[in-house]
Amino acid sequence: MRTAARLRRRVTWVVLGLWLACAVLAVFIAAPLAGLIARGVTQGDILDALSRPFVQATVRLSILTTVLTVAAAVVFGTPVAYVLARHRFPGYAALDTLMDVPVVLPPVVGGLALLLAYGRAGWLGGPLHAAGLDVAFTTGAVVLAQMFVAVPFYIRAAQAGFESVDRRFEAVSATLGAAPWRTFRRITAPLALPSLAGGAVMCWARALGEFGATLMFAGSLPGRTQTLPLAIMQSFEASVDDAIAIAILLVFVAFVVLLTFKVLARVGGRAL
Amino acid sequence: MIEVDFQAQVGPFQLAPRLRIEREIVVLFGPSGAGKSLTLEAIAGLLRPRAGRIALDGRVVFDATAGIDVPPHARHMGYLVQEPALFPHLSVADNIAYGLHHLPRAERRRRVEAFVRLLGLEWLERRRPAAISGGQRQRVALARALAREPKVLLLDEPLAALDASVRTALRSELRRFATDLGLSVLLVTHDLSEAYNLGDRIAVMDAGRVLQCDARAVVLSRPASVRVAELMSVRNVLAGRVVGQGPHGVEVATALGVVVAGNGAASIGERVHLAVRAERVILERRDRPPRRLENRLAVSIVSEAAHGATHTLYLRVDGVVTGRPHDLEVDIPSHPYDVMGVARERAWHVSLPAEAVHLIHDG
Repeated sequence: MRTAARLRRRVTWVVLGLWLACAVLAVFIAAPLAGLIARGVTQGDILDALSRPFVQATVRLSILTTVLTVAAAVVFGTPVAYVLARHRFPGYAALDTLMDVPVVLPPVVGGLALLLAYGRAGWLGGPLHAAGLDVAFTTGAVVLAQMFVAVPFYIRAAQAGFESVDRRFEAVSATLGAAPWRTFRRITAPLALPSLAGGAVMCWARALGEFGATLMFAGSLPGRTQTLPLAIMQSFEASVDDAIAIAILLVFVAFVVLLTFKVLARVGGRAL
Repeated sequence: MIEVDFQAQVGPFQLAPRLRIEREIVVLFGPSGAGKSLTLEAIAGLLRPRAGRIALDGRVVFDATAGIDVPPHARHMGYLVQEPALFPHLSVADNIAYGLHHLPRAERRRRVEAFVRLLGLEWLERRRPAAISGGQRQRVALARALAREPKVLLLDEPLAALDASVRTALRSELRRFATDLGLSVLLVTHDLSEAYNLGDRIAVMDAGRVLQCDARAVVLSRPASVRVAELMSVRNVLAGRVVGQGPHGVEVATALGVVVAGNGAASIGERVHLAVRAERVILERRDRPPRRLENRLAVSIVSEAAHGATHTLYLRVDGVVTGRPHDLEVDIPSHPYDVMGVARERAWHVSLPAEAVHLIHDG
């Protein structure tokens, strides 16, 4: 009995510790964000700041580039994720690791590498420039920089999604006369869909916040390469209130997107 | 028709089955690890053999020398495994319709309705697999495989995961479909009663090879080798040497004395084994004179086991010393066991009817 009582007491302390850790971390993340929003609401006019033409151009550019990035991630990343999930081949470990490098690498390094490759004097950019095509410091460069940093997030999630699809379903589909493409379309992709969607959301969020690689490779040209994070950095020097307004917009978008996605994932999971 | 004669290598395991299945149910029976499921996978095209030939319904789907290897989706057979593996994101009706995409919409709907009715799945068509029972799921899987109207059906322990009552019902339905639709069925099981219940013929498989493939009664009482006898649960196997030819059959000298084998032929001096199923050994009644006089042995019961419907008696033969805990096993139904008072008496006579003694050639 005394052992049980002691055990119960200890369990209570453990539970208390757990809640304490949660509280500390929640405050750590929520407090600065709350401060940011409070500052934005009490001083300065958020809506006024957001209606400025340069801010609107930045929002449009961010939407355009991130959507293109996600589209490219889905088109090119899905086959890569499928191959990594379903096949083993010489060089597998190398390809697998390569896809992770951008996640670990400081984005600035990626931007520098892109610049050295596609810049006007770069080993790929040189011939392209001679052909009349400049990549660096264009809107296209923003998309490439975002892709470099964000596509691995999609690939990782999609790969895990494909791996979680029981191969028996694919075998059964084949014995029911479905060729591989039909099996992928009707069985593998729908069953991996929650992971694919989750990966696309993570990829999009990472692209939206991309800063280092974009600045290095595309610069911060208003209307052409200046995305929301770059605009915050530039406004910060001229008008703190504008920077805060854009920051609040990003917090709001991040929160809404994540919440929507989690709710959808739960509904989708139940439907299965 | 299914024709199988191939060699495959799976890790260190050598698979080399030979089979020929007409419009009938052939049961592939054997211990786990015998290569039964791998054989089915190779026929379905999910495992590529190293050499040999596989033909389904007269069409060669694999031939190593001719370089033919038809992919699974073009082999046109039904394939069903222990887990129904229904597509979780599709309704029951869509699961059944999955393999019918080559048909026009009206025909597809007609086919789905027909097989829904055939397997008693009305009212479940719009449900997802997660919302129906295990037995219903296996029915849907069967409907899905049958709806393509294949001439060849491969079944890998399709009933093993089901409750006994559902299993019995589905067994008889399976037999009915196979006969009605004129299918060639190859069914894998390691359950002897299921093998006997479903199979027109039983193919006994061990260590990657088909040891014997015959009508079920033949495999049961006339095993081709000692190993087949073991696998078919023939529990009385005696080693011996042929000493003569009598009116009832071949006379074989064994550790239990001379035993007459009425089933098989052999020349004098040959080393053989004798196989007698435990349920074919006759325990003589004490209140009547013996009716069978061949292979009559005085025995003592050394131990026994009750199985509910039957009892197994472990017997030692009087007057011989074999050094084994028991010399013979007899299965008798519970009713004669009670009527004859077997529980009270230890000393009995048994006879091994000559026609139930099967002679196996060594080597």
